[in-house]
Amino acid sequence: MELNAVATTIFLVVLQIATFLAFAPFLTATIRRTKARLQSRRGPGLLQPYRDLAKWWAKLPLESNASGPVSRYAPAFVLAAVLAAALLVPFAANRAPLAGWGDLLVVVGLFAAARFALALAALDAGGAFGGMGSSRDVAISALAEPGLVLALAGAAVAANSSDLGAISAFGVWRGVGLLGPAHLLAAAAFAIVLVAETGHHPVDNPDTHLELTMIHEGMLIEASGRSLAMLVFASELKLVVLAAVFSAVFFPFGSATEIAAGPIAFGLLVGFGKLLVVGQVLALLDGSVAKLRLLRLPDLLGLASLLALTGLAVRVLLP
Amino acid sequence: MTVTPETAFGAGLLPGLWVAAVLLLAVASVAACIPRLSAISPQLSTAGSGLALLLGVALLMTGTTLSASGGHVLGFVSFAIRYDGLSGAFLLAFGASAAAASLSVVGARPRSAAEGAAYPLFLASILLVLGASNAFSFLLAWESMALLSAFLVVGLRPTRAVVSAGNVYLALTHVATAAILVGFAVLAGSTGGALDFATWHAVAPGLAPATRNIVLVLVFVGFATKAGAMPFHIWLPRAHPVAPSHVSAVMSGVMIKTGIYGLIRIVIDVVGGAPDWLGLLILGVGAVSAVLGVLYAMMQHDLKRLLAFHSIENIGIILIGLGSSLLLAAHGATELAALALAAAIFHSINHAIFKTLLFLGAGAVVHATGLRDLNRLGGLGRKMPATMLTFAVGAAAISGLPPLNGFASEWLTFQGLFGMAGSGALEPVARFVAVAAIGALALTAALAVACFVKATGVAFLGLPRSAAAAAAHEAARPALAAMGLLAAACIAVGVAAGPVASTLTGVARSALHTAAIRETLPSVTATPRSGDGATYAAFAVGLLLALIAAGLAFAMRSRTPARRVDTWTCGIAPQPAFQYSATSYSKPIRLFFRRILMPEREIRVEYHPGTSFPSSIRYRSHVTMLLEERVLRPAHGLSLRGADFARKLQGGAIQIYIAYSVIAVLLLLLWARWS
Repeated sequence: MELNAVATTIFLVVLQIATFLAFAPFLTATIRRTKARLQSRRGPGLLQPYRDLAKWWAKLPLESNASGPVSRYAPAFVLAAVLAAALLVPFAANRAPLAGWGDLLVVVGLFAAARFALALAALDAGGAFGGMGSSRDVAISALAEPGLVLALAGAAVAANSSDLGAISAFGVWRGVGLLGPAHLLAAAAFAIVLVAETGHHPVDNPDTHLELTMIHEGMLIEASGRSLAMLVFASELKLVVLAAVFSAVFFPFGSATEIAAGPIAFGLLVGFGKLLVVGQVLALLDGSVAKLRLLRLPDLLGLASLLALTGLAVRVLLP
Repeated sequence: MTVTPETAFGAGLLPGLWVAAVLLLAVASVAACIPRLSAISPQLSTAGSGLALLLGVALLMTGTTLSASGGHVLGFVSFAIRYDGLSGAFLLAFGASAAAASLSVVGARPRSAAEGAAYPLFLASILLVLGASNAFSFLLAWESMALLSAFLVVGLRPTRAVVSAGNVYLALTHVATAAILVGFAVLAGSTGGALDFATWHAVAPGLAPATRNIVLVLVFVGFATKAGAMPFHIWLPRAHPVAPSHVSAVMSGVMIKTGIYGLIRIVIDVVGGAPDWLGLLILGVGAVSAVLGVLYAMMQHDLKRLLAFHSIENIGIILIGLGSSLLLAAHGATELAALALAAAIFHSINHAIFKTLLFLGAGAVVHATGLRDLNRLGGLGRKMPATMLTFAVGAAAISGLPPLNGFASEWLTFQGLFGMAGSGALEPVARFVAVAAIGALALTAALAVACFVKATGVAFLGLPRSAAAAAAHEAARPALAAMGLLAAACIAVGVAAGPVASTLTGVARSALHTAAIRETLPSVTATPRSGDGATYAAFAVGLLLALIAAGLAFAMRSRTPARRVDTWTCGIAPQPAFQYSATSYSKPIRLFFRRILMPEREIRVEYHPGTSFPSSIRYRSHVTMLLEERVLRPAHGLSLRGADFARKLQGGAIQIYIAYSVIAVLLLLLWARWS
């Protein structure tokens, strides 16, 4: 019995790590491809992100004269935090691979830890662009965080637990009845935060290398070689994890309710389908919506907080 | 003096620890006055505070109490102490902070012998506040603490600015003492003159609601002022930057926490809870303090002032826990109330640890460069790597990042609010307040990340922005040891959050006078536990994170060493002025929150005559302190006008005073006639 539980956990951990690691660059590739199509280009092949990672991994790294241990070790910590978060999110089944290790707040906290390390490392080289990206990124995240936590809190209040597995299981149990107004408002709020946190239009442009407009890319400007590979991979993985949280909390339908080969395989397929849909929506946004001025971002992200707050108000104020 | 330990175990150890701690602090004070012995005074303070830490741990682990009384004054009041689990939790915070702060000044000369002597006495007064069990002892220790800390802030040879900061502090700390004194007097008056807390607790249920409410409001105002909660906070950002760093560390780490201790002791333990409006008020004050505290912190470029505003923020987080606990207890959700109260106590301990660490780090920076202004620092990490490492750990801990201690207590605070939002026992409005507090707490946590990336990055990373910063040197060994121990404590308490949280929940239950009920509540655990309720397996998550990070760092080593190049600055040679400064780093947030911060800036450019080349550029920026300038200053003006009016009544001519007397007598006669 005990051994069985351990074996299940190990199986789910290996499955989740393997599939997420393999899938993350692919999701980015599909987004780039759709975006290229929208701009009447053919775009790079679906394997390009993998080739980029391999290329950076093999390259001779360049380090700034000014930088030190912070930028040397931050990439490993950033990726570690995102990987740890990835194991706390239910995906194929209704439980996180590491069930009982941490709830939604731990996932949010691990992302904050990754942001802290990356934003700090961006200041290490003493250039203007690192600071620019870093200061903008932490400011945008500060605006996004209330929306993120409130949206998830709404689901937690409904499921009476902040454990992501419990929330997901509750959603599957409620079925279509889950999709009430409070739920949909929270989902909309989370969607806006997802766009902001993964650096897509209208908040950030993931493909820009024009110095003055960079946010996330600005923080990577001094990274090269394996550091760059890790940081880029961490941001690709972050998109997968956040989208997985989105689907586990707001649209958990299709994920396995028992740990058996058939349901798990089905859950995986449905899960990746949902991630691809999220990716295509992001690509559509990138291709069709202009970037907002930095000063207008509080309007968008404030809207996310307001939607989530309204959702919770509906939940607690109405009987 | 009679000592009455309540178990055989405590019989020898606990009183011995207490007596030894007090004696060591007293000897430290005397030693500081004697030139030949003054050098060992910090060591003695360290030892005394260390014993207080042990006492706190012993009280928590054994669940015993230590009480003593004696020394009758004027024949009727006596000194009385009683240390229980709640005292033990705050003693833990006190011991950790004070021992590290004292250790950091080993080998350093105090500004004057008098200050050297006052510092151990200040520590002893906090030790006594945390155990005083009657009004007389409490107020005596409380006022000593206030006066000694004010002296330590001002020092013997103050400048005009320091005197002004000291006056604000003295005035407000006396507002606090006065409010508490009157609150205690009302309690004593309605209990037949009794002064000890135990009698008050026994009589409290029979108090008239109006009397009880007056007491609660007075006590709240007094303790909230000491804690530095908004709008009673204005002394905090003034006093901290001018005090010596180890004094700021203890003031911010522990002294303001005595306000929290007092609130828990009097409102929850002695009076036995409060009506729900007080819970709502405390929750509201907490949320406002947290959000505005961190926003103003973000706007500072004086490192110590920045840390002072973060104290307001953290007091806000603690008050959110405390307020939700009061609300939940008022509606009978006792287990959740215990969880929320445990969160508040836990965060008090954690804040004592990391805020002391950060203030000592700031002290090391000031010592090495003579600068507190972040905009003139930079690149210190190369000269002070150990200080940078410990400061970064403290910064991550105060930002509430897993697996460090700050995250664990914020996690519990969040869980209390989640429970409140979902609790059927509360009215919808109270539940919605919990929801708003969740949003405020999330915003606070994210802004704290932003602020501490700024503080750490601008001070320690990049290129030095001044000659003084370039010539920095590493802190002295004792200071490094103190910071190292505190950083280790941030990690240790963070990963051991499970047992700590369950011990503190026990403390919270006994403060709330409730027993444990079998309920499935969210919990911090060491190892993963699945099944009922949300869990945060602190140790397991910490281990996982460390293992993955170590593995990745190992994989990342490339065989060839990196090629060194200049930072990319569009092809120009990098200069320190290209970097983001503290002011520019906070610009996006300053603009995003401009409706609250109301920033103003003034740029004055002067040109060389007849050319368009600037000869000087002056930049001045300022954010409006909303409560201070829009609420407190008008209130201040109003009270001055009231004083002016009162002065008109005081004409100075004797005839007018005779007329007043006659009118008063007439009115009294009329009143006597008709009543």
